[in-house]
Amino acid sequence: MQRRTFIQAMAAAGTLGSLPLAANHVLAASDLAAAVSVEQLPPLVGDITLYLGRGEGGLYENVLNAIRKRNPKLNLQVRRGATAALANTLVAEAKAGVRRADLFWAVDSGAIGMVTEAGLAKPLPTDLTSQLNPRFQYPQWAPVTGRIRTIPFNTDRVTAAQIPSSIMALADSDLSIGWAPAYASFQSFLTAMRLLEGDKLTAEWLRGVSKHATSFAGELGVVMAVERGEVDIGFANHYYALRLKSGKADAKVDLAFTNNDAGCLVNASGIVALSDDDLPINFIRYLLTQEVQSYLASEAYEVPLVGGVSPPLGLPSLSQISPPEVDLTQLADLRPTLELMRKVGVL
Amino acid sequence: MQTLIQKYRHLCLAGGLVASLMSGQALANGAIGEHVNNLQGHLGQYTEEVDWLITKVDGIVDTYETSGQEAAKADAVLEHWEAVDLHGAIESNYVPVYAAIWQGLFGVKQAIDNKEPITVVREEQAKLEQALWQALGAVKLAAQYQQKGLLAPVKSLDAGSLTPPETLEEIKHQLDRVVAKYAEKLPDAAKNIVYDTYLQRFEGVEGLLIAQDADLVEDLEKDFNVTLPQALDRKASVDEVKQVIQAMQAKLDKAKSLLLAAEKDQKDVF
Repeated sequence: MQRRTFIQAMAAAGTLGSLPLAANHVLAASDLAAAVSVEQLPPLVGDITLYLGRGEGGLYENVLNAIRKRNPKLNLQVRRGATAALANTLVAEAKAGVRRADLFWAVDSGAIGMVTEAGLAKPLPTDLTSQLNPRFQYPQWAPVTGRIRTIPFNTDRVTAAQIPSSIMALADSDLSIGWAPAYASFQSFLTAMRLLEGDKLTAEWLRGVSKHATSFAGELGVVMAVERGEVDIGFANHYYALRLKSGKADAKVDLAFTNNDAGCLVNASGIVALSDDDLPINFIRYLLTQEVQSYLASEAYEVPLVGGVSPPLGLPSLSQISPPEVDLTQLADLRPTLELMRKVGVL
Repeated sequence: MQTLIQKYRHLCLAGGLVASLMSGQALANGAIGEHVNNLQGHLGQYTEEVDWLITKVDGIVDTYETSGQEAAKADAVLEHWEAVDLHGAIESNYVPVYAAIWQGLFGVKQAIDNKEPITVVREEQAKLEQALWQALGAVKLAAQYQQKGLLAPVKSLDAGSLTPPETLEEIKHQLDRVVAKYAEKLPDAAKNIVYDTYLQRFEGVEGLLIAQDADLVEDLEKDFNVTLPQALDRKASVDEVKQVIQAMQAKLDKAKSLLLAAEKDQKDVF
């Protein structure tokens, strides 16, 4: 149980390191070759169009601007929009025989799945994909940064030991829960549960949790309600609690991680090359540099997926948690999940 | 002293107007006529429209005075306003006055519908006329700025291209639209704007903001999800809704200054 609180993870990395890993291919950042520095990359020259799904508060824009500044001969055009809408646009453009984008940077891997399934993604060279944690190596897209599903809990009302290590067990617990069923991150998590546990168990879980759950519009709202003590625990991505603690040092919230189930799914933002040229591939290399990964970890609290870059302060490394094995692109089809949620009556 | 205070108030109003024009005018929702990007070329038309509207409303009020409520056909007040291009020009340039115009239109209409004494109707008519002249003044000022190239073209929204501080300005603009729609007697449209603004805009910046001031985010979360929707649901007066929104806008100003300060401390990517 001790391994599942991030405060303890920070304080006792040695203890955590000795704990068994559920997936032996989840490597610590230190086990991977160190990330490439931007100094080692060729300059980017030419015209390129990127479709960009909405990022974290403009920080992706800062990355793009930095790449532009460093590469004055790069003419980077950006089309922005909701990630799912851009994925639909790419598929529609392809059907019409048009290709306007050379790259698609999406905030969630489900949208990437739509594009790869439509056959639009170009294969990536192995020297690029091999820079990523082996769990996140895909032949046709590159995860850029990760986010972890967590259980934020109120430290005045609950101890880490009271939180089951299985997400499924929470359906029968007597803990009060905050959740955001209409939120995209929750629906991706539930899709992972469907893939791992099946529809029947997922429906039972929804019924069980809904009896002691309070709904919120978004997952920041969930974490804030946990901190205020309105609920004991919640379901949310990791970064909300980290940000809250950054803005409120005495915040009464901590994070717990379940074990090898959808409750600690690691999802990722990702990028796809849509044209055969070297330029899109080299652009992707910039996103995997030590500098960009480090920036997104420290400023956006996202989880770096290359070697030699530390996770955001207050979060254990990927080697210290045990996420389930899920092909992230399989999270693309939300329809069965939404149907299930409607059938159970939580949407 | 009285004069000094009045002058000061006018200066403040003008200052606020300029700030609003400079910061929040470039974005609009829904269909916008191309005329809003050539205000100078349409100033004559807008002036004629204000004169026409004032004459029309005056005619309705005169009819009410002489022939009574039924003969006045007060619904036409709203129809006349919908027919003019000034409508789009002011909505895309200075939404607070847009709300005041709707308040004025409904003030006249409801006073007639309720068979109020003619003095009450004339008071409402005077408020409407004041709002219309103020609107024309705002559009003229905007036209000057537009000619000097100080205003970006009005265009459809692209939330992704806004920086976090710009997003907060856009949220303030959208909140002005909430008042406008509420004053327009469209509470569902007003609530939809609140909901969309929260989900599409505030959620995009609150993660950054919470790392600066968690209590402020908590306040704004409550405003978006409880205080404002409740005010709209319980049919509070337009002035009450405006007060809630002005309080939110003050918090958003504070949020903006926090994010601007945080941007300075942000490390470089490379």
